[in-house]
Amino acid sequence: MKNSFDEKILEEAHDWVKANQKVVLATVIQTWGSSPRQVGSRMIVNEKGDFSGSISGGCVESAVVRECIGLIKDNKPYKKIEFKVSNESAWEVGLACGGEIAVYLEQII
Amino acid sequence: MKYSQLKEIIKKKASKTEFAIVTNLGNGLSEIYEPAKSLSKEFETHKEQINDFFKLKKNGVIEKTEIFVETYIRPIKVIVVGAVHIAQYLVNFAKSLNFEISIIDPRGYFASEQRFPDIKIINKWPDEAFKEIGTNENSALIALTHDPKIDDPALQHALNKKFYYIGALGSKKTHANRCERLKVAGFSDTQIQSIHGPIGIKLGGRSAPEIALSIIAQLVSETYKK
Repeated sequence: MKNSFDEKILEEAHDWVKANQKVVLATVIQTWGSSPRQVGSRMIVNEKGDFSGSISGGCVESAVVRECIGLIKDNKPYKKIEFKVSNESAWEVGLACGGEIAVYLEQII
Repeated sequence: MKYSQLKEIIKKKASKTEFAIVTNLGNGLSEIYEPAKSLSKEFETHKEQINDFFKLKKNGVIEKTEIFVETYIRPIKVIVVGAVHIAQYLVNFAKSLNFEISIIDPRGYFASEQRFPDIKIINKWPDEAFKEIGTNENSALIALTHDPKIDDPALQHALNKKFYYIGALGSKKTHANRCERLKVAGFSDTQIQSIHGPIGIKLGGRSAPEIALSIIAQLVSETYKK
């Protein structure tokens, strides 16, 4: 019994799907070093780029939103992405805390 | 993830079932894991490792595989004695936390459904009410009436059942009297000292929402100490 929170993100995803929105679930699956959110943290994104929840402290959310919209546009079911400070392409959205995270994106179909 | 699976997950959460979601990050397939049920072939071969994550209430990728496990644990039962103003704010704060609140108050005019929509309210004296709620060392008690007739039996129940968190509202003087009564009732000093009284961490505020916040903060802190 280590966690005392329930952010109800999946419940929100359910509401979004019921409202005929396309929804992608983004989940933190691995972390290295100091990262703001633990494994299992979630956010949801729809086709318009509205989002709820978080997978970092605001550092990489914008990049994840873009990736999720791309997933919906390309009609891909899932994708794994990593954010590292050393990764130059992620410079703009890199984690200021020096940590690394892997995020799994999956469409609700 | 399939929409039908999302619906099933939400249903399981609502029914307070413990389960895990297992996802193959390599092919996007996912399933719901429960110890008693069997999984499809691709996950079944990793059942032992999945079960290890499940037992430890851990999330993560199983080593040398592409299988991600996310465990869902039952909410912690929190029993609030006294359907008072502070309790209304407690209910609000607990909404984003994994606490399942039940309220006990024999005074009908306090414990109305209108004041506490969607919350289990037991309109009985604590001794009777606890027959309806299964409690154990993973339960928490927040006593708010500062009326010995109502709070004391609930505190005694919580001490006997070894609740991991017991807090009681009241001034230092009220609490000293309460401790004295519990001593007379046969409880040990260690047991009595385990009660958080006066309840809550020191925030300085004295309004109902501020007291509720200080209680919830203490409850969360004690939950992580377990």
